[in-house]
Amino acid sequence: MLSSKGVDFSKILRRYDVDQQVAATPQEMAKEMLPHDPVFKKVAEEVLYMRFKTVGPVVNEALKEKKPLDVINEGLVAGMEIVAKLYAEHVYYLPEIMLAAKTMEIGIALAEKKLEGGKMKAKATVIMHAAEGDPHDIGKNIAAIMTKAAGYDVIDMGRDVPVTEVIAKTVEVKPLFVSGTALMTTTMSAFPRIAAGFMAKGMNIPFMGCGGAVNREYANSYDLGIYSDKAAQTPPIADKILAGYDWKKVREEWDNIVRGD
Amino acid sequence: MAVTRYTKVAYKDADELIFGRAQHPVSYGFGIKVGAGRVIPELNYAPRPGTERDVEKFRREYVDYICKDALDRAITAGMPDLQMETEWVSQMNQKKLAVPVVSGQAEICEKYHEEYGINTAMRQTIPDQREADHGLRPGMDKKFSYPEKLIECAEMACENGAHVFSVESMGGKELADNAVTQGDIVSFLFGVGYLGSIDMTYIWQQFVDICKKNKVTPGGDTNCSGANTSMFMAGGFLDNDVQRTFSAITRAIASARTLCAWECGATGPDKDCGYEGPICKAVAGKPTAQEGKNCQCAHCDLQGNLMASTCDLWSNESVEYHPEFGGSSVACWLGSLGYEVALMNTSIQLGQDKTLRDLYMYTDRTRGPEGYILAYDHAFMIGKAIAEHGNDLYLRSKAAGETAAKIILDGYNSKELPLTKKQLEVLQECQKQMAALPDNEAKFVEYCTKLYKDVPAFNIKNYGL
Repeated sequence: MLSSKGVDFSKILRRYDVDQQVAATPQEMAKEMLPHDPVFKKVAEEVLYMRFKTVGPVVNEALKEKKPLDVINEGLVAGMEIVAKLYAEHVYYLPEIMLAAKTMEIGIALAEKKLEGGKMKAKATVIMHAAEGDPHDIGKNIAAIMTKAAGYDVIDMGRDVPVTEVIAKTVEVKPLFVSGTALMTTTMSAFPRIAAGFMAKGMNIPFMGCGGAVNREYANSYDLGIYSDKAAQTPPIADKILAGYDWKKVREEWDNIVRGD
Repeated sequence: MAVTRYTKVAYKDADELIFGRAQHPVSYGFGIKVGAGRVIPELNYAPRPGTERDVEKFRREYVDYICKDALDRAITAGMPDLQMETEWVSQMNQKKLAVPVVSGQAEICEKYHEEYGINTAMRQTIPDQREADHGLRPGMDKKFSYPEKLIECAEMACENGAHVFSVESMGGKELADNAVTQGDIVSFLFGVGYLGSIDMTYIWQQFVDICKKNKVTPGGDTNCSGANTSMFMAGGFLDNDVQRTFSAITRAIASARTLCAWECGATGPDKDCGYEGPICKAVAGKPTAQEGKNCQCAHCDLQGNLMASTCDLWSNESVEYHPEFGGSSVACWLGSLGYEVALMNTSIQLGQDKTLRDLYMYTDRTRGPEGYILAYDHAFMIGKAIAEHGNDLYLRSKAAGETAAKIILDGYNSKELPLTKKQLEVLQECQKQMAALPDNEAKFVEYCTKLYKDVPAFNIKNYGL
């Protein structure tokens, strides 16, 4: 083997991950973001530190003196919002998002038992699936967790879902939007057929194309089509649709939306 | 087909591991010789969306456009060899779509070989559409019959003109997905290292029989659905999904699984997207297909040069067929492959191949943990760890993971391999989790079966257990 003695590898290619790493710990970064109320703070910390084994007793304790909806919004959801910020800052990563979301869900389920009406009202319902013939669904699963964590009710139809079933479910549920993921060029061709099916049924519902084989140009090549490049972009796009953006406006504003503007 | 596990490595020392030469070269197709002293370009591609809707349009896309463009470019640029790979799209599980493509591609390879003397071959890589929730073994999947279709696809490929046969099998995917999203290395070890190895052994015995019956070369497999998912999610320096220390360990574990095809009688070359190739080659001495710097059409990685250092076939991973300024995408990316392969082969002719190998390797050695463990000296160490426990699917996967983790930690401690705080933290957590595992297979299976009972789609019966 050639000797590498004296070689400065940083002059060949740079390790930006090491150079740019955030020095602060999650605890230091979260300090200013946590709720001031000690009860809500304790609940939020359960989510922030992914304590899915102990979140139950903490939430039950909080419910003794706080309203269920407040425990959800000011404790659990507040904790999840900090997690999302740490993720954006490259302090937290995907496993933290997944475990924090799991912790939050456990807490919400407990709080909902005390809630009048039994269930927290979701922002809206969305449908997700992996395209017909496509077994690759990890991206869809991650997007589903992130979208749920952002307050949406997600109907996950699974993978390899026939076009007709997606259209039928959409007719039944009338969701805010529908997403499809594909890892093959020949499975993503289901997307324009689904969108055409929506229009034939008179539904002006955005259809979000995602996945390794899909690009923005393709997802925008048929009416109703919008694009999401990464799972984390789905919740902000959902928020804009909820705020009244139709598929055309999502396309026009896409760069700003995914940038967080 | 008998299964012979590897209990020793094929090479005396790491220095013997090099591109273009394997201990057990393989010949097939029209003059293609892999691992016999020359690196061969392997071009992979995807048809344009919508072409699958019409049988004749589909055949034309694959044969008259994609393969013809590639062969024309190979002749135009003076390439002596060209292997092409068709990774079947899901619709090709239908005979009407698959057979005209497979037979048409074999015919066009033969035509160019006869007309110009270029060495040509087709790799047919069938899809594994099996879904764990419906069942991985015949008789279990009442909805799609995907386990039966997997075997039917193998027969369709082998009976109609494949020269070399491959698959990207999916066994253990449900636990690999769980592992990658939760950062749980034990889930990966159980799903891919152990259950995936059982599944591969089960299906590859059948594939090797089908290949033998039809005089087709059984190439190999890859853990695309596991270790590649992990690597892609770890991504580059702007990504923030999975830690690269974690993905590197998953790659080492996956190598113990990918070997199973060869242990069932497959001869290589394995699949390009299995970045575990250097480790597998160190153990088995069979030729390996790799990808890296010339697959930027498909994805970015952090070891694009290093991966060339031990390859026998050099691939572009995959490119969608479309026009570029320099011709169609397949012609352009073949041009890129062809130049790289010519450089490697020039170095062999000039006796400078070890120097070039080391240059490739050093370029990426310290860019990340994954490249670091795949540097040929480290790949050899992991290969040895696997072979020392070769007969035990659990212990060898565990040894692969633990050895990779130790190599990374040693690299960090010696200041050769920089790590972020988080990468180090995750590395140490993985080491802790693996060290705490039971010391034998039965206890490990019992422990994991309980631990992962609630993972969606996990069903131990899929693995005959």
